[in-house]
Amino acid sequence: MNEILRRKIIRYAASLLVIVLVVFMFPRIMPGNPVMFLIGEDVIVTPEVLADLNTRLGLDRPIPEQFYLFLRGVCTGDLGYSYHLHSPVASLIGDRVVWTLMLVGTSLLIGYAAGILSGAWVGWMSDRKSAKALTGAGICISCIPPYLLGLILFSVFVYRLNWFPYKGLYTTPDIWSIMHHLALPVATLALFVFARNLLIMRGSVLTEKNQLYPQFARALGVPGSKILYGHVMRNAILPILTQFAIDFGFIFSGALFIEIIFSLNGLGTLMYDAIIIRDYPVLSGLFLVIAVMAVLANMFADILYGVIDPRVGREGI
Amino acid sequence: MRRYLLPLALIAVFATMAIFPGLIAPFTPTERFTTYQAPDKVHIFGTDDMGRDILSLVIYATRLSLFIGFASGAVAIVIGTVIGLVAGWRTDILDDLLMGATDIVLILPKIPLVIILAAYLSPGPWLLILVLGLLSWESVARVVRSKVMQVRSADFVLAARCLGFSDTYIIFREILPVVFPVVVPKFVLVTASAMISEASLSFLGLSDPTVISWGVMISDAFNHGGFIRKMWYWWMPPALCIILGVLAITSLAFLHERGAREVVQL
Repeated sequence: MNEILRRKIIRYAASLLVIVLVVFMFPRIMPGNPVMFLIGEDVIVTPEVLADLNTRLGLDRPIPEQFYLFLRGVCTGDLGYSYHLHSPVASLIGDRVVWTLMLVGTSLLIGYAAGILSGAWVGWMSDRKSAKALTGAGICISCIPPYLLGLILFSVFVYRLNWFPYKGLYTTPDIWSIMHHLALPVATLALFVFARNLLIMRGSVLTEKNQLYPQFARALGVPGSKILYGHVMRNAILPILTQFAIDFGFIFSGALFIEIIFSLNGLGTLMYDAIIIRDYPVLSGLFLVIAVMAVLANMFADILYGVIDPRVGREGI
Repeated sequence: MRRYLLPLALIAVFATMAIFPGLIAPFTPTERFTTYQAPDKVHIFGTDDMGRDILSLVIYATRLSLFIGFASGAVAIVIGTVIGLVAGWRTDILDDLLMGATDIVLILPKIPLVIILAAYLSPGPWLLILVLGLLSWESVARVVRSKVMQVRSADFVLAARCLGFSDTYIIFREILPVVFPVVVPKFVLVTASAMISEASLSFLGLSDPTVISWGVMISDAFNHGGFIRKMWYWWMPPALCIILGVLAITSLAFLHERGAREVVQL
């Protein structure tokens, strides 16, 4: 256990280091003046201001010292300053992250619950026509890039049918208005998460089904649903957890794209605007925050894995 | 065999579109007509904001979209297979290091990383291929490694070692052929996901604006009034091409059920 724990901790620490290095090194090694990368390309400044910024951003100091200052800044929550939006990056992200997390959180909850339950059923009843149809639908949906799925739903339900509002998070700040605005984005992302988990769960249950213990339970006369949801599912759910760690980054970036499509004022639109005007401090800050979240999600999945499957702790697999 | 027919036929259609766009497309992408035309007999999908024939654009875009997908798939497969082979064969510190690197690449959120890279570099197709390839080898390496560990102490490998063949020879002549069957479906899946990434990046305006790909077309439609004018015939054809292309390529891997299960779970 200690050996595994040590190895895991080293890996997470190394990932964090790589993330910080990426954010630190990019503006400094790319061809061109690093000041321009740190303040953004479209800002027009005089040479004097440029020289002043150079000193103020610490770019005239040796690289190790710059790195130390940068790390200290990151640890104290200073992610740089956006000269386009005249605001610290940390507060820009802080203002909007709640909405993105709400979108991701709700969709994950719905998508995982529905995906796991129906994936288990599809795997258990894999010969039925309806199960095959659901699998086919799952494969199709998981092949559509999330933003395209959003575009399709957007054009059908918003432009054609007018069921949902065009843009924004709310018209009046109450829960119903927010739900009305978020319904379609959440549905898009949840559908995507659902399809992926359905496929993983199906494959996993198909493998578990042929083990001896479900057959033994069946021989004892345990009803099918109880075998599936009481015995098989507990084992079959492990690949979902492994996959969650890998999928998190993917789902999160899917959420960013969906926000752009539906004009929700979250991290995605912040990123989109920053890309158009090449606002590098905002892009770096966003990457840092998303990457750290991905590392945390991985840790969470690891811990949960140990809770659900006690063998991991005991035998040290 | 029959279920391979549809995906293969689709891929053949796309391949023809990619190789001989001039033969199929009614116009070239440089010809201009009246802008924002609705579909009629001459322009089956109408024309876009610059007066280009949409059908012809879709056909000409095929080459780049497929090329970026397959080329990044190839880059990822080569790197992943080599790393997986070495990590599976060696049990010492090298294995630890390589697997550590693999885990780190796995944890890093790929699309945000590509976005920030692309924003700094304003990439052309080649750079995109390199970046996408360099960021998607990790799953290949894991599959290959676990397969190598399975066969490492098999009799035929031991025999080769007793005969005094070098490690390189054994890895490439004895082990690589065994690993190959898991690499192929993986290649297909990496290619599909590279196509999705390319489409997503182009949608953000992060690819070379002078070249046409399906993602660029959807981005144009989204930003230049395709939605407000309800021109579904503008963005739907490239969108359908992406979906069908990815679906055809992926289903090649999924049809092989056992292979798919190995691939999906690792």
